[in-house]
Amino acid sequence: MQKFSFNKRLVVTMIILIVGFLLIALSISVRNNKNAPSFVQQIGNEAGGIVDRVVGVPMNGLGHATDSVKDLYNSYTENKKLKKQVDSIATQKVENQTLKEENEHLKQQLKLNETLTSYQKISAVVLSRTPSSWQNQIIINKGSVAGVKKNDAVMSRQGLAGRVTEVNKTTSKVELLSTGNDSANRFAVRVTSKDGTVINGLITGYSTANNQLIMGQVTSKAKIAKGAKIITSGMGGITPQGLLVGQVIRVANNDEGLPTKIYIKPAADFNDLDVVTVARRVD
Amino acid sequence: MRISKMRYFFPIGTFLFLFLDGSLSHLLAPFFFTTNVSVESRLILLWLVMGICYGTVDHLIWWAAAAGLFFDLFFTGILGIFTLLLPFMVYLTQNVLTFFNRSFIVVLLIYLIDITVLTTLFYWANALIGFTSVSAVNFIGRTLGPTLLFNLVVYVILFWPLKVFFEKFE
Repeated sequence: MQKFSFNKRLVVTMIILIVGFLLIALSISVRNNKNAPSFVQQIGNEAGGIVDRVVGVPMNGLGHATDSVKDLYNSYTENKKLKKQVDSIATQKVENQTLKEENEHLKQQLKLNETLTSYQKISAVVLSRTPSSWQNQIIINKGSVAGVKKNDAVMSRQGLAGRVTEVNKTTSKVELLSTGNDSANRFAVRVTSKDGTVINGLITGYSTANNQLIMGQVTSKAKIAKGAKIITSGMGGITPQGLLVGQVIRVANNDEGLPTKIYIKPAADFNDLDVVTVARRVD
Repeated sequence: MRISKMRYFFPIGTFLFLFLDGSLSHLLAPFFFTTNVSVESRLILLWLVMGICYGTVDHLIWWAAAAGLFFDLFFTGILGIFTLLLPFMVYLTQNVLTFFNRSFIVVLLIYLIDITVLTTLFYWANALIGFTSVSAVNFIGRTLGPTLLFNLVVYVILFWPLKVFFEKFE
């Protein structure tokens, strides 16, 4: 009898483990291949989103309260600095507007209605963050109802922050650029070299120790200035062109003819995301 | 027959603590996820361990499984990892506890062992599915150490309130 019950327990354990591994395999295949997660997953996520809003609102309120005290503290010195910048911004704004208009006229003349730079913005509030070291992932409060699609680029106020990995009806998961996983991080980017040629490449990785993005698969060996701006190139068909990724910190040249690595200081702060914008390309 | 109020309070608390983990991680992200520190908030495990030690809760292991499933659904999107890990932690704690008397220090040690086991198994599972390629040394220094520290602090703060809560509704 004792022996039998031991075997029974063993069998149950094995079955539970197998079911667990099957679930993991299933969800990874959904994540990699399908546009929407399964029905059960969706229901769970909607319910989670609702509960999380209830729990998260007081918590976020608390966070904002401490923030506002800090803000008050800083605003005096900031005000002084910003006043100096305001004048130049006004002129820039006017210039921007004229350029934009001109651009529109030119596009009309060329009958170019949509270019790679045009995209639709969907603003979303960050609900929560995955409490895990291995997935730098946030959960935002907009889903397929608002028009979010899988693989859309996500911007913070300062620059490119990540990519949508899972879309439910009213929530979505966004994998940040700082995630070191193999299947993420493939944004096509470009930078202008010192002599004006455009250099294309991919964001191939992230160095956690230095908080730097790594651009690889670089197409040319032209000299790149430190501090040059990296923007998305719009290649690959999903990401719009011209989203700011960051600034060049250092270029690692290889003598062996291997591709150059460009280290980038990301423009977005991946740990300070309250409101993000999903940039959905229009075409 | 009087129905224990714990029947309602325990599930509510479970999900409250589960979502608090996410909210805390989001709010304290500048301190939690830096270049050399990566903290995993595990309030949910504290709630379960305190429930095992000081409460009388029916079907605790099933609530742990439900919480784990929700964690996977809502936070990671990869089903099956926490769904199995959390009930396993409950099973482990219940078995370990048969050898000890309950006190602040003993529960603290059990909790820290639980955190270590859970974090390590979670790391292992993530390494298995290719979500991380961090070396073991890096894992211990960057994730496990800070995680233990943070959860220790939370334990010290929340031990008495939770103990009183569970004993009151016993």
